[in-house]
Order: sequence, then C-alpha cells, then structure tokens
Amino acid sequence: MADLSRREFAALAAAAAAAPFVPTSNVSGAPAVTAGEVIERIKKNIGVDWKVDSVDTLKAGDVSTVAKGIVTTSMATMAVLQQAVKAGANIVLTAQPTFYARADVPSPPAGRGEANQAPAPDRVFTAKNEFITRNRLVVFRLSDHWRQRRPDPLAQGLAAALRWSKYQSADDSQRLDIPAISLDALVSNVRNALRSRGGIRVIGDPRTTVTRIGLLPGTTPIQAALKMLPNVDAIVAGEVREWETVEYVRDKVFAGEKKGLILVGRVVSEEPGMAICADWLKTFVPEVPVRHISAGDPYWRPA
Amino acid sequence: MTAGEVIERIKKNLGVAWRDSTYRDTFKFGGPDTTVTGIATTVFCSFEVLKQASAAGCNMIIPHEDTYWSDRDDVSIVGGDPLYTAKVDFMRKNNMVVFRIHDHMHAQRPDFTYVGSARDVGLDSKYETAPNSHRFVVPETTLGALAAEVRKRTGARAVRVVGNPDARVSRIQLGVGYATPPVHNPDIDVVISGEQQETDTTLDSPEYVLDAIALGINKGWIMLGHAVSEEAGMLEMAQWIHGFVPEVPVQLVKAGEPFWAPR
Repeated sequence: MADLSRREFAALAAAAAAAPFVPTSNVSGAPAVTAGEVIERIKKNIGVDWKVDSVDTLKAGDVSTVAKGIVTTSMATMAVLQQAVKAGANIVLTAQPTFYARADVPSPPAGRGEANQAPAPDRVFTAKNEFITRNRLVVFRLSDHWRQRRPDPLAQGLAAALRWSKYQSADDSQRLDIPAISLDALVSNVRNALRSRGGIRVIGDPRTTVTRIGLLPGTTPIQAALKMLPNVDAIVAGEVREWETVEYVRDKVFAGEKKGLILVGRVVSEEPGMAICADWLKTFVPEVPVRHISAGDPYWRPA
Repeated sequence: MTAGEVIERIKKNLGVAWRDSTYRDTFKFGGPDTTVTGIATTVFCSFEVLKQASAAGCNMIIPHEDTYWSDRDDVSIVGGDPLYTAKVDFMRKNNMVVFRIHDHMHAQRPDFTYVGSARDVGLDSKYETAPNSHRFVVPETTLGALAAEVRKRTGARAVRVVGNPDARVSRIQLGVGYATPPVHNPDIDVVISGEQQETDTTLDSPEYVLDAIALGINKGWIMLGHAVSEEAGMLEMAQWIHGFVPEVPVQLVKAGEPFWAPR
C-alpha cells in the first residue's frame, strides 16, 4: 500500500463498493441542499462551457428533492440504484444512459416495435420507473462535459485504478510509460485491477513487450487510435468499432509491428473516472455524503 | 474471365435489383478489366487474407466488410499511413482486385450471413419459426449451456455474454454483424448477434439485460463479435458464386476472429 499515491488510494477506496457511507460532514446540522443546487454546482465547477445540446440532463426525479446522499457510477443499473438506496443516497450521477438508449427517456422510445404504432409498455422500464419514484431518486447524466475536462478525468481514473498514476505523462494524461511487461501479463494485470469478468478482448502477440501505453476510455473512432498508436506499444481502450480500429490493429500486427490493443468495454473503462467524480463532488458538496458505486463488468465468458 | 464479368454474373443471379446508389458494394482496388485467376470470399479484407488468397492463386477478393478500416473505405483517413501503402502495394504487385458485397448480400434471400451464422452456432433450420425470420425456438436449455455450445461450435475465443447463466431459455433471435435484434421483445429470451456499441445507440443496450435479470425476467445476449458473426456466411457466398462462375476456383479465405481473451 505504501507505494500508492494519495489519489490512487482515494480511487481504490471509492471503488470498494461494499463499504458503508461515512458522512463527510455533520449531516443533521448541515443546511439542506437540493438536487437542483447540486446540478448547478456541477455546472459551475465543471470547468468547461455547459452546452444545452448534450446528453447531460436530468433523466428522472425532481430537482427540488433535498439531497440525502450522492452516488456516482458508470451506469445507473437497477443493481446500482438498489445499492444507492440501501446506502441512504437519493441522487445518482451516471456516465451512461439510465433507459437503455441514447434517447434515455423513461418510457420505450418511438420507433421501437411495429412501425406507426406507439411503443408497447415494457416491464423493465415500468419497474425501473416505479423503483425510482418509490424511492424519490434523482438521476442525472454526466458524460459529455465530464470527458471534456482537462486533465481528462476518465484517463486519470483509469490510470489510478491500474495503479499507474505515477507513470502518467505530465503533459498528456492519456500517455504513460510503465516498466516493461509482456502484453500477456499486462492483460492479466488490467483484468484484475478493473475487476473485469469477461469483457476483455485483445489483439496483438501476447509476447510483445510493452512500455509505452495509451489510454482511450469510452467509445472512440479510428482517428483517435491512428493518432495515438504510432507513439505507443499498446492502447487500453473502452470500445472501438470492430470494422475500424480492430481491423487496423490486426493488419498492423500482421505487417510485423509490435502493437497491442486491449478493449475492456465502455462501461468498465469509464468506471474509475466516475470514482474520481465522487472525490471531485466532495470538494463542493460538503453537506451530504458522496460515494462511488461500480456497475461492474456487464459481460462474462462462456465455459 | 474478368472481374467485371464476375460482377455482372453476380448482379444477374442476385434475385434483387442492383442499386447503384450503394457506396459499399463497389471496387475497392483494381477494376473490371483485371483477369481473374481465382476468387476468395472473406468477411474482412485483411492484409493476411490478401496474402493467403494470393498464395492460393486467387487474385479477386470479395469481402463482406471494408478494406481500409472505415465503412466508406474513406482513404482520406488513412491515405498517408504506411500500412495503407503496404496493403495497396501488395495488391498492385499481385494484380489483385477487391469488390465488396455487403448491402446486396443482406438484400438477397436468403441472406447468407444469417444462413451461415445459424449453421456456425448450431441453430438447426428445423427450429426456425418461419423462413428468414431468424427466430428459433429450441428445446429448453440454460443461457450458460447455450453460450458454451455456441463458443465450442464457433471456436471463438472472445465471445461475451450478458445475462444469468442459469436462466431457462428456448426462444432465440439471431442477428448478424452490426444488426442486433431488439432484446426487449417479449417473445425473445436470447439474442445471438455480432457487434453493437455498448451504450448510446438507438437500440437496447446490455444494461437492459442487466436490469431485466435484476427484476427476475429471463433475458440473455450472446455477442460473437463482428467477424465471427458474418464470416461463416461467406462460405455460402463462395458456393453460390461458384455455381455461376465455374471457370475459376472460388473459396472462402477466413479472416478469422481478431481477438484473444485472457484465461
């Protein structure tokens, strides 16, 4: 533990989802803060211009709700919402949609099902809405603006979760120089550090020696990989299009270049950044407890 | 036999009208005048496929997907890249020609991508509820057993599954490539498909399955990956082409699964 930086330790502690809430202030004596005020403080502190044309909007609940506790997560699944309620929180900040699609609306979106017919009610939507209403939860998405902050908090979080913060380049948080390791061993380390169940997929010779790492959390187009790959041995990414970056790296490796691409999945790749988000919120929302709850790796691999 | 003649015969035998508006189904390297020595079908026109096909005497490649790492094969993205140069140099030196067949393959009936994937994952046509429905009702099993069978049959290393392995399932909807059927459909227990962006699409995401199982609703999603999902049907494509191009050998040259997964 002694070799962990304070930031790394904070991120790891925040990632320990089972830990109970430890109030950071005297909750009973603190003035009440509403969900709307929390959102306003986020906009004020985010450090980038707030855009209206964005997925970062209220997804469920009432902004006049008095905050009891805040949870950050990569994805506000039913399981995360249940854990949040159990922990006494009523505000959830999520990097991914709550209602299964970019439209992120609380009833099945138009276009779903038969053409020219209103979408049929959906048991999963209904139950999730009921849970949110019954527990008076407020769900707000924080994705577009969070990833625009500099230094990139998603890269900062990923580096911290991988215990690589000390290797991060001073002028580019997506670039790291780590002690030499084989791609094979690196993949094992990444899997363990990110608690990946079955979502990791890799391209490259497992024996390739890796020291120069690039981080591409989230979903990225081939342009991002084309820019990064010449300067690194391996990229640790969330997800990419398979007909773009996957095939490019496959061809690159076949052509004899010593490169690796590790895909951990979008949700998993953005989780540590949302742990960082909880630490950040604590600095300007002292009235209520703030913690991170992991959505976990959605995937498993068959036997 | 020229590449142009091969394409004309494909158009004539397709069974649906050719749409010239397609940006996908066009020559990606070479042109109609190249004399064809042999034809290789594949899912992705990878560098390795080019070399294997050329070594096998096939100078015409018919891939289902892109050649230059973007759907539109937009060379402006990679034009200055040494890998692009190397690939193009190899094709030029070996007198190769590449013609993609994607949109018209999916418009054709049957769509060979579905035929091939069903065969590959072990979904017998006797279980398909109607021809070309891609919906199969199989004897009840568990999601875990079904996924293990799919993995074993395809040989794929990086199959990913969402859902409860113990869920009892029998109603399967097959998708291919980037065309993922809606997993929310109440008549479906499991979707087997290729690739889909994890969140932020217009479709259901893995989150829907996670929430369904948290609520006790049986749902599952088996993701094969794009290449595994659509490569099998390129065998049917090769056999179909050989039926009306008997003059030259036609064979599947597999691009194969690009991934490995940690133990």
